[in-house]
Amino acid sequence: MVGILSPERFYGIDVFVDSLIILVAALISYQSRKIYLFINEKNYEFFSWAFLSIAISFFFKVIADLTILKAIRITQPNFIAEIVHEQLETLQLINFFAALLYKIFLMLGFMTFFLIVNKNKKSDNVLLFIYLSILTVILSIYFHFIFYFTLAVIVLLLTIYFYDNYKKKKTKNRLLVFLAFLLVLISNLLGIFYEFSPEIYLIEELFLFFGFLTLLANHLRLKNGKEKNKT
Amino acid sequence: MGKKRTKLDVTKDILEVLKNYREVKITHLIYKSNLSNNSIKPYLKELTENALVEEVNEKDKKYFKITQKGNAFLNEYSKIRVFADSYGLDV
Repeated sequence: MVGILSPERFYGIDVFVDSLIILVAALISYQSRKIYLFINEKNYEFFSWAFLSIAISFFFKVIADLTILKAIRITQPNFIAEIVHEQLETLQLINFFAALLYKIFLMLGFMTFFLIVNKNKKSDNVLLFIYLSILTVILSIYFHFIFYFTLAVIVLLLTIYFYDNYKKKKTKNRLLVFLAFLLVLISNLLGIFYEFSPEIYLIEELFLFFGFLTLLANHLRLKNGKEKNKT
Repeated sequence: MGKKRTKLDVTKDILEVLKNYREVKITHLIYKSNLSNNSIKPYLKELTENALVEEVNEKDKKYFKITQKGNAFLNEYSKIRVFADSYGLDV
């Protein structure tokens, strides 16, 4: 069973990156929720839930990463073997469920996002998407790459949508959102191969970091209500 | 020919008229917000339901006025507009 998310040598770095993602996703979710409360438009409510789901997923990823960090600490001093073994078993269990919840919430978040931008509200389609998401997460317990591959397909479709959105009206805000999703897409594509080399995980995290940093830059521009044409 | 207004734009236009003229009759609102009688009614219904606008009935006359929440929407409008535009969420 695959539970562990980050390779041993990058402990700490990913917790920092994931914490930034939690902050950015929570900020976007809050802004969307505020708009929903003003105009009662369902799109904004679902958009808010999608980003909240992404924030929750990375919260579980932080927990999963911290359990590995703790596991290293308790094995290093080489205490009585039985106690260490017991603690490790508990940590392994927490790590497994945290990693599983990370995948469930992340898939749910991006899937909801995809359904919103495609204005797909037919209940049959939504149920099919939920079924496929659950199937992907279950399969990813045994084959990790399936999760990142499915996520990459969803993010690819979102990136195409944001590219079209930018082409229709070339504003800096639309460009930033498109670039952010392009970076997240590259990160997910790298995630497919991360089991082959721990270095790939670091590059994947860096792309994810810059992707969400771009989303944060766009969000900070909202404070001033900036919307300038690029050309 | 001007661009087609989005739902957010029309909401802002109606609220701005109400902010500038305080209590406004529907006929005046139609004229000032550049909407037809048929198209303004669903907007006013929704704005009233969302508590952005208040309907005032006085001696057989009906007025509309902006609420505190409506004013807050206008203050936040530029942020809302850019947010919706960034993610292609315009309604």
